[in-house]
Amino acid sequence: MDVEAGVIEALKNVSRRPIEPALTNDLIADLGLDSLQVLELATELEDRFDITIPAAAAPATRTVADVVAQVTALVEEQAGV
Amino acid sequence: MAVLRTLPQALRDAAAGAHGCLFIGGGSAGHHDDVYRSYADLHTAACGVAQSLRNLGLQRGALVALAIDEPEPFLVALYGASIAGLLPASLHPPGATRDLDAYHERTAKALRASGARALVTSSRLFEGFERVRAACPEVRALVMSDALTGQACQGGQDWEPDLDDLAFVQFTSGATSEPKGVALTHRNVCENVDAINGPGGLATTDTDSAVSWLPLHHDMGLVGMALGPLYASRPAVFLPAQLFVRRPVEWLRAISRHRATVSFAPDFAYDLCVRRVKDSDLVGMDLSCWRVAGCGSEPIHASTLAAFAERFRHVGFRGTSFLPGYGLAEHVVAATFAPRGRSILTDGPFVSCGVPLPGHRLRIVDELGNELPDRQVGQILLAGASVMQGYFEDGRVIRDSVNDGWLRTGDLGYLAEGELYVCGRLKDLIIANGRKIHPEDLEWAVDELPGLRRGRAVALGIPDVEGRDRLVMIVEPNGTVDSEPLVADIRRRLADLYGLSVDDVVMVPGGTIGRTSSGKVQRALTRARYQRGEIGRHRTESGSGPVVYR
Repeated sequence: MDVEAGVIEALKNVSRRPIEPALTNDLIADLGLDSLQVLELATELEDRFDITIPAAAAPATRTVADVVAQVTALVEEQAGV
Repeated sequence: MAVLRTLPQALRDAAAGAHGCLFIGGGSAGHHDDVYRSYADLHTAACGVAQSLRNLGLQRGALVALAIDEPEPFLVALYGASIAGLLPASLHPPGATRDLDAYHERTAKALRASGARALVTSSRLFEGFERVRAACPEVRALVMSDALTGQACQGGQDWEPDLDDLAFVQFTSGATSEPKGVALTHRNVCENVDAINGPGGLATTDTDSAVSWLPLHHDMGLVGMALGPLYASRPAVFLPAQLFVRRPVEWLRAISRHRATVSFAPDFAYDLCVRRVKDSDLVGMDLSCWRVAGCGSEPIHASTLAAFAERFRHVGFRGTSFLPGYGLAEHVVAATFAPRGRSILTDGPFVSCGVPLPGHRLRIVDELGNELPDRQVGQILLAGASVMQGYFEDGRVIRDSVNDGWLRTGDLGYLAEGELYVCGRLKDLIIANGRKIHPEDLEWAVDELPGLRRGRAVALGIPDVEGRDRLVMIVEPNGTVDSEPLVADIRRRLADLYGLSVDDVVMVPGGTIGRTSSGKVQRALTRARYQRGEIGRHRTESGSGPVVYR
């Protein structure tokens, strides 16, 4: 699955208002997610890509690009596990 | 009713019993990382902490700050400090903070102002605190919670607190230069806990047990869900808050699996379950054991509770288990409960929070302090043995907000047929997903941004049509930074420090935000002007674009 497209779809699902996420957008400051929705996003991504996102990873991901990079790395790392 | 006890006495009594606490791990290892600790285990560990803390040479009653985000070490450190005759104080762990350096810097400043003599923290936060240590020279010791493993104290109860000593301080405003902590005595705590457990409260018996995911630096998490079971020597199960937020079904699963009877949570948690729990998650679940589904700590929406009851009825949940209540840290935790086993009672959009706990009193008054008749909205005042001693500021207890034994809650409500309906607040709190945020923290967070006049920012929580707070920041630019990047900086700062998304940033000309004679921003006046549309009239409908008021 295309990670970027998947992340953007997950973001749209999690947000309670219409958003058009761009890679440089900050999840909270630009896209208006609250801290709960950021964690909700992590769960949504875990289910969608069948990965486990470490709890400590959430604070490091600020932008959409951070999320895409993190998911890409986890998908590669955890592939076939 | 049992005799009043201090925290160490309650822990010793529980240690003599058969129960304990289960700490559910947050990892993905299924239930392999769950840890069970009997109250006897917790007592032994706490005695070790007490011995280690006493070895630091602190004076009796010295403030020991706790910045610990896991439930077990937090509780052990709290009990240990108490046994050692010290005064434990909970600080906010980083939580939703994305900028840990800024968290440490600000918490260090708050620590200095709090008069803390030692800080106990988690290993993952330790290094950061070490880096900012110079900012708080009065903090003599900085210790990792898992390093406090002194030999259990032999006898040595000479420093143990009395009922009228302070039991703990709960810092409600975590990161300003003037941290404000609620100071409670052992008597306060025990009176409230006994009233909660007693026949006029939850009427708990030996068949009861609790499940909680609430953070322990929060009154409902600590007193309601940890000390309540402790004082009654009953079992409790703790989940990490993060696990609940990521997988809300884990809360319900824990209740079902451990046959828990009591669990409290704010309104948003019930809403999160309705929105996020899938049908496939409910296979094999049985919530028929859940006798008291407490709800408090933020405005309660009848629609949320109705949706939850409907969604989970087929797995045994009963709508009559809901127990709405009203309370605040300044009153230990609980002030009123709705009667048990009744469907929720509403009056217009408001949910009844019931009647005062036995032995406690409540009044609704106007601005002049005159008691108001039924159905007239005024400030809620509380009196009784649960009322705090005052705010702990600058190493002392300031008897602020308490007059002739009556606590001015800053919340608005009315009585109807003897029951309390909470409908707003006078105080400047902002409530987001059950978190109570002091505007001072947010104003301080943006204070040093280039482009803003210092000390001229106002943070407001303005309720929307559903009664949920919209976060509004009103600032005075100094003209050195363009408005668009400045708005972006403000949004990023609050996202980094508090994980908060700002609904409206309003720029106003210099001098718009007045100050009081004591140098504080005139928040109430600014709020009134914003709500009347005199400030920020030109804000965009979406609330996301930059807004400039001329």
